[in-house]
Amino acid sequence: MSRRGWLALGVTALAALAAVPLVVRRDDVLNFLFLVLLSVALAQSWNVVAGYAGQINLGHAAFFGLGALVTRTLWIAEWPVLAGAALGALAATAFALLVGAVAFRLRGAYFAIGTLALGEILRITVGNVLPEVSTLPTATIGAYRLADRYYFALALAAVAVGVVAALERSRAGLGMQAVREDEEAAEASGVGTLRLKLLALVLSTALAGLAGGLFAYYHISYYPAHPFGPHWTFDALLITFIGGVGTVHGPVLGAIFYVFLKEYLAIRWVDFHLLIFGALFITIVLLLPGGLVEAAARLRTLARRAC
Amino acid sequence: MALLELEGVSKAFGGVRAVSGVSFTVDEGELVGVMGPNGSGKTTLFNLITGALRPDAGRIRLAGRDITGWSPHRVCAEGITRTFQHVRPFAGLSALENVLVGRLYGRARERRATAAAEAERLLALVGLGGRGHVPAASLTLMDRKRLELARALATAPHLLLLDELMAGLSPVETEGVMVLLRRLQREGVTILMVEHIVWALLDLSRRVIVLSAGEKIAEGPPDAVAADPTVVDVYLGTGAGGARRA
Ligand SMILES: Nc1ncnc2c1ncn2[C@@H]1O[C@H](COP(=O)(O)OP(=O)(O)OP(=O)(O)O)[C@@H](O)[C@H]1O
Ligand SMILES: [Mg+2]
Repeated sequence: MSRRGWLALGVTALAALAAVPLVVRRDDVLNFLFLVLLSVALAQSWNVVAGYAGQINLGHAAFFGLGALVTRTLWIAEWPVLAGAALGALAATAFALLVGAVAFRLRGAYFAIGTLALGEILRITVGNVLPEVSTLPTATIGAYRLADRYYFALALAAVAVGVVAALERSRAGLGMQAVREDEEAAEASGVGTLRLKLLALVLSTALAGLAGGLFAYYHISYYPAHPFGPHWTFDALLITFIGGVGTVHGPVLGAIFYVFLKEYLAIRWVDFHLLIFGALFITIVLLLPGGLVEAAARLRTLARRAC
Repeated sequence: MALLELEGVSKAFGGVRAVSGVSFTVDEGELVGVMGPNGSGKTTLFNLITGALRPDAGRIRLAGRDITGWSPHRVCAEGITRTFQHVRPFAGLSALENVLVGRLYGRARERRATAAAEAERLLALVGLGGRGHVPAASLTLMDRKRLELARALATAPHLLLLDELMAGLSPVETEGVMVLLRRLQREGVTILMVEHIVWALLDLSRRVIVLSAGEKIAEGPPDAVAADPTVVDVYLGTGAGGARRA
């Protein structure tokens, strides 16, 4: 599809999704779409640093969690929620720069292992310092409108997709892909790899922080350590791989497929859904490393041959 | 003033003196060959010049400017680019994107709008014209070497380092590469090349440098160097030459 084709598709989808709360008055539908949009934003944020710059962040939940923590705290202290989310994103990014400045100087698996450890340390610390469930004040609960959360999610998902689409066509995006393919060869070709890895991390964690803010805005009550849980990282990772890592539309397809399957499986086979996703993940990595995007491309080639 | 100047450059890995006290210069527009047995430090020398490794001692200057210890991307922006002995194209990118990386970064730093045309021109120059959309991973060894050369040229280097560009190629392909190198030479690109194929060096360059166990043991016109008893000794392995360890 051409650039204009994609743009038209994106605008149409956005308009249709924006109209949903006006037409559909069922909370279960809005909640489902909300989850899809949150997943798009979170997966896309992981896709920036891992799919494009090739830096496997296994502690992505730490940045999602930080965004949630800061947003929730400020919002309950009666800040506007968007201001809270912006500061949440800022906190996540500042922390990311600190981590990246150290971990990116080391080659190999240090970044993956370091972020994994860091995510867990943060989760345990938050769980110890803030063991009580966080519940919104009664007045806020009274004024709760699901549509507000839905529009926040829609805007964030659109921004996340927009960021990745812009990256795909930019000089920085191409440089990041060069880093992903071969760091030494990228350096030899003039690419400042440390700067680009940090840029990818900043973009990625700013989006993850905002997604955390959205989580804090959506839930009436939750344990503050919950958004720091490693399953958020693995959701983002699975969605991105299922859809197509390092592509713009992969994580969108992946999120729709994943949330749908997860909701369905959670109702039918509560105990088995992790096992099923694990198997699915392995199958995709082994047989279809390009995810759904590649599957679609292969089908198209087959169809063309059959004609 | 020399374009490239090395002064007593050394690098050791543990007990192995990979490069030790090497000095030489390369003038603008020259094509200089580097020879030496396996493990004599040729690739390490390139890693030092491009900034992939930091020397333990010695200075490296480009057009009089001290670039010792600079990171590779800064060295590239200053005008030195290389190809790798074991080819390293960006496998997941298309051939055109590979060249674009060099064009958008490197010394050229061209704007995106005009970079594509130059990238296409370079692909055609190395014999990959019209194949820009092909994924680099699906190219043959010869074509991947061509692609690496195009990517390196795209950075607009003053000095091009070629590490065994001809290794693994058939005689016909080697001849093709030589035609290309002569053309680059005429266009004024300065080249420093590691090559085992002596007849190619004899043909292309007026000066070669011979390394053995990290030390420069000879320098001069290729035919004179090839006749030098020390060099013969090193290559035939009769004396103390070869992969001597410190
Ligand atoms: N990164 C490294 N770590 C440790 N030792 C190294 C490293 N790189 C090179 N060496 C050692 O330094 C010496 C010189 O190696 P180098 O690769 O520079 O030789 P070369 O002349 O390029 O050989 P070849 O003709 O096989 O390519 C060898 O003994 C090699 O084992
Ligand atoms: Mg070598």
